[in-house]
Amino acid sequence: MLPLAHFEYLAPTEAVEASRLLASPDARLVAGGTDLLVSMKHRLFEPRLLVSARRIAEMQGIVPAAGWLSIGASCTLRDVSRHGIVQQRLPALAAACRTVATPTIQAMATLGGNLMLDTRCMYYNQPAGWRASLGYCLKREGSVCHVAPKGRGCYATQAADTVPALWLLGAEAEFVSVSGTRRIRVSDLYREDGMNWLTVRPDEVLTRIHVPLEDRSVAHRKLRTRQAIDYAQVLVAVAAPAQRGEPWSAVVSSVAPRPILVESETAEGLAELSFRGSQPLSTHLASAPWRKKMVRVEVARAVDALLRSHAGSG
Amino acid sequence: MSDEVVLTVQVNGERVRRLIPASRTLLDLLREDLRLTGSKHGCDVGDCGACTVRVDGLPRLACITLAAEVQGASVQTIEGCGSKEAYIVDALDKHVASQCGYCTPGIVLCLASLFDDQADADEAAIREALGSNICRCTGYTKILAAAREAAASRSSA
Repeated sequence: MLPLAHFEYLAPTEAVEASRLLASPDARLVAGGTDLLVSMKHRLFEPRLLVSARRIAEMQGIVPAAGWLSIGASCTLRDVSRHGIVQQRLPALAAACRTVATPTIQAMATLGGNLMLDTRCMYYNQPAGWRASLGYCLKREGSVCHVAPKGRGCYATQAADTVPALWLLGAEAEFVSVSGTRRIRVSDLYREDGMNWLTVRPDEVLTRIHVPLEDRSVAHRKLRTRQAIDYAQVLVAVAAPAQRGEPWSAVVSSVAPRPILVESETAEGLAELSFRGSQPLSTHLASAPWRKKMVRVEVARAVDALLRSHAGSG
Repeated sequence: MSDEVVLTVQVNGERVRRLIPASRTLLDLLREDLRLTGSKHGCDVGDCGACTVRVDGLPRLACITLAAEVQGASVQTIEGCGSKEAYIVDALDKHVASQCGYCTPGIVLCLASLFDDQADADEAAIREALGSNICRCTGYTKILAAAREAAASRSSA
């Protein structure tokens, strides 16, 4: 059994009140809790205060508005993937939601939680005793990165399944804090640092995700060892050019602290450029060279899927 | 103090009102406080599905759910399964789809949730849903056979 340490718990009804509570050190927001509770059991996070998103109305509901779909950050991945507009206009987002962990977790975990997911590493996402026996790691309590001992930084990976698709769909995240409201493009939300991977402050509360309804052709692919439970070995989304003259784009994730954007003038060149631009590290389930090769394969498969669907509809 | 919560929930149709530590998981509330030990501690980190219960009809992993987060909700455990879920239990029994039995309560609740949502669940839907539940005894073949039979008996009922 992995007991939780004691903490205080408050369930405010407004995002700005949550922000005020989250300004204190050692406070964390809990929505679905599917990653947070595990990390707390592993003593990766030891918050003194949990702020529940459960009663915050601004974080709920899925509503279309002026060419955008506004999705509450507290909406579960199950609700998002089953929403009619998401299924019809944003199929890559629906597909991405349905590849997260398991259907039971999809009924608990939220879209906001997925966007704010902690970076992951085989030396970090482990029980406290496991980590202690290894002398801990750079990201938590230690001084050495076991993945890259000669490196300077933390290489924990951004592994959130919905991020590449939301990035290429042009989604924006709305944050509320005591200093006001601001919208940040999903593509501007992440930093190249496994320990400090978000560009927002801890007291900024992600309330809504706004996705433009532009019918961009985006394909999502997730490579994993088992077709359930596992995080990705390679995660890609590919977007076809919206207009003549625009490039093909890929976002490659689960291989670095920040998702990687790759652009190519031709569909044929995208997979090779993605391969060259990715430097995945080995995990206990897959070697680095194999993961790197599979970046090329998965991008090529996503391009194929888009070309086929265009041929079908045209 | 806010490290304690007055929790009011329905558990298997009965109203429960308790003062609990905020750090109480739903699984420990069920097993330790209410002595409903049908929901199991497996991995304890949300991977295995042995602790699956239904909260307002949807499947939920009780080991990584704070009891405080189901305030006001309706919780169903295996102890609350009866004639409505008998077609699932009977099919598992007939196909000997339970050996040590540790995963079985979670599988019953997972399938009950699936079939209530999708009466015509096909093979792909069953396999996708059962991706949530790990069994280390049966190799899944018997569980899938039982799930198929349960789906057929429900859609013909």
